[in-house]
Amino acid sequence: MLTTQSDQTTQVAAPARIQRRRLRVRGTSITLLKEVRERAQADLGFDVEYELLDFITCQRQAAMQPEGYDIYEQCFHNLDIVWFWGSLQPIDTQRIADWNKITDLSKEGGISKYAWRGHGDAPVRKLYVQPGGFLGPKQGRYISMLPTVHNMDSFGFDTRVFGQGDVKRPSWSWLLDRRAKGRIALVDEPAIGFFDAALAAESAGELQFTDIGNMSIAEIDGLMALLEDRRRQGYFCGSWRTGEEAARLLQEDRVSAQSMWSPVYGHLGKMADVFVESAPVEGYRAWHGGASLSRHLNGPQLDMGYEYLNWWLGGYAGAVMARQGYYMSAPERTKAALAPEEWAYWYEGAPAARDLLGPSGKVVVKAGARRAGGTYEDRANRIALWNTVMEEYNYAARSWDRFIRRVNEGQK
Amino acid sequence: MIGRPNKPLAQEPRYELIAQVLRRNILSAVLPKGLVLLEGPIAALMQTSRMPVQAALRMLADEGLVHRFDGRGYLVGSEDPALSPLRRDISSFALHIPQQVDDALQTRGTWRHFYDDIEEQVALCQVFGEFRIVETELADYLGVSRTVVRDVLSRLQERGLIRKDASSHWIAGPLTARTVREKFELRAIVEPAALRLAAPHIRYSQIEEFRDRIGTDPSLKPESLEDALMDYCIAQAPNTALVEMIQNNQMLLTSVNRALTGLGLPEDAIALDQYRTLFDLIARHPIDSAAEYLRDHLHIMGAKNLARMKIVAMISETVGFAPYLSPR
Repeated sequence: MLTTQSDQTTQVAAPARIQRRRLRVRGTSITLLKEVRERAQADLGFDVEYELLDFITCQRQAAMQPEGYDIYEQCFHNLDIVWFWGSLQPIDTQRIADWNKITDLSKEGGISKYAWRGHGDAPVRKLYVQPGGFLGPKQGRYISMLPTVHNMDSFGFDTRVFGQGDVKRPSWSWLLDRRAKGRIALVDEPAIGFFDAALAAESAGELQFTDIGNMSIAEIDGLMALLEDRRRQGYFCGSWRTGEEAARLLQEDRVSAQSMWSPVYGHLGKMADVFVESAPVEGYRAWHGGASLSRHLNGPQLDMGYEYLNWWLGGYAGAVMARQGYYMSAPERTKAALAPEEWAYWYEGAPAARDLLGPSGKVVVKAGARRAGGTYEDRANRIALWNTVMEEYNYAARSWDRFIRRVNEGQK
Repeated sequence: MIGRPNKPLAQEPRYELIAQVLRRNILSAVLPKGLVLLEGPIAALMQTSRMPVQAALRMLADEGLVHRFDGRGYLVGSEDPALSPLRRDISSFALHIPQQVDDALQTRGTWRHFYDDIEEQVALCQVFGEFRIVETELADYLGVSRTVVRDVLSRLQERGLIRKDASSHWIAGPLTARTVREKFELRAIVEPAALRLAAPHIRYSQIEEFRDRIGTDPSLKPESLEDALMDYCIAQAPNTALVEMIQNNQMLLTSVNRALTGLGLPEDAIALDQYRTLFDLIARHPIDSAAEYLRDHLHIMGAKNLARMKIVAMISETVGFAPYLSPR
């Protein structure tokens, strides 16, 4: 989730001589990239303003200040917050030209009929607007969020500590492994990092959850007690909220195992040779992003919103996303917008035929490298769990916040 | 059972009594347009704490009788840029206070004076986790004896808001999704059954009246409809034990809901439509169809309340807790 420095703040177009039309997008570093914004502006003929926020702040402001944006770009799991706050309006799929090009992972919940759906909330369970204003998997004309970018996340590990992962395959349990004691960091997001920790606890044999995607209070307490115990023993060196923070921990050589987001692997500096992406035996923690329309949009402004959503499926945005390791819900046009060797590396798991560039033009993959976990199909068939806002989210998130505060304050 | 309109004034929430007094004096122009209304002096005049005054002022603001302005407090009248704030002590106006309201304000049990405030604070803290209520601190906070505090606490316990732990400490919360789910599951089992039993005793004309107000009376809130359903239908069931069980089961949900709405959580607009259908069925169709619909309606309300429990996570703990509540 790395962006260039200039993209860190809200992008405001220079004052125009004539009033230019503009569309305001609130989102995270997953999709709010300068390269996307500039091309969208050029193609669409109106200004696109970005407001880039971390996950938690973004979700809070999207829920509470829907007047402040036209388009909301975030993940499906936080629709549980933003949709139910009443801040978004349904998207009419009849106004999405390429709706039939979106694949079954997004629309049905798995890449094939036989693929295991994963624990937690597959995005399809939040996709369709149901009678009574609910969200659910029963297909209908109206949706909550246009599915776009997604990925299967894992953790990264230091090969000097754990080996190459070929003798013993990487397991989520490494996030609580004694060998990495004092050099472990988790992503601070209670619907994401919380599950990295839960997967680690269960695969280490420390805890068992009846349903890891919808834990009981006792199970949440059990997980937090385990994490607190490890914290007191000094296992954790910190937490992070943005890709920049994750990259900094690595570049300063402070971590041996941590939660990871795909774009960070392109920014490891001298750690690039020793810190690698895992393909955990237990499977991935997946997420799915998309774009929604703010409640207040109507008339010509709503038309612009739809133009922008349609543009997102057009190929260019998908290609930029691929270069930071993210998959697109409508891959056909993305393939056309990528060079064949880019497609082969990112989607087909083939060795890179040459050095490959990231979104900003910097080399992020060296010739000969292979993507961990293989092809898109291989990875998408091994989703253990989706980022999820559980029923007891309020309780879990508050416990998690207290834990993270203690990690960062280094309390004994 | 007694419906809301027949409730003795002494049992009306304090903020409603205060709102009544202010409303009457604004409408009769005893309190002039532009007068600055401050919580403190009103509380002193009514011999109450500030919380119910706050709630009463909010109610009046919703009704358009007062409005917020740049300074502290509210101005009498609807928003008008030409209005300049008039600052005078409210006790210098000859306020008309109806005898029954005055009696009600004075004669409620001592603890009733502040019970509503305490209930709101205790209901609210639960969404943030588990709290201990320290009896002595509560006594200090209210400036009353521990005997009075015990009255308050036993009332809170009756309503399911607090419990005693193994070392006899009073504990509130945490309010979990599980509690909410279980309470709604129970509602979906017992309330349709009570509605069936109540069929011959339902106050049909009142239900028709409420039904006609849905969609035409913008001041009508889902809570009033829920009250009407309880008072005119379910509570008419000729089985006191069943009705009591239903009322007890709802208490925690009601007070938490009120507290959350007070924090700015969005209200549910779709619920109004469901009540319209429900009241239609009750008034004009065989009771079985209404009972079935009520069961579905409660399932939906349960799911919505669970969704609401998730968005509560967005409310930060900076709201501040009363000093007698200590986090565990």
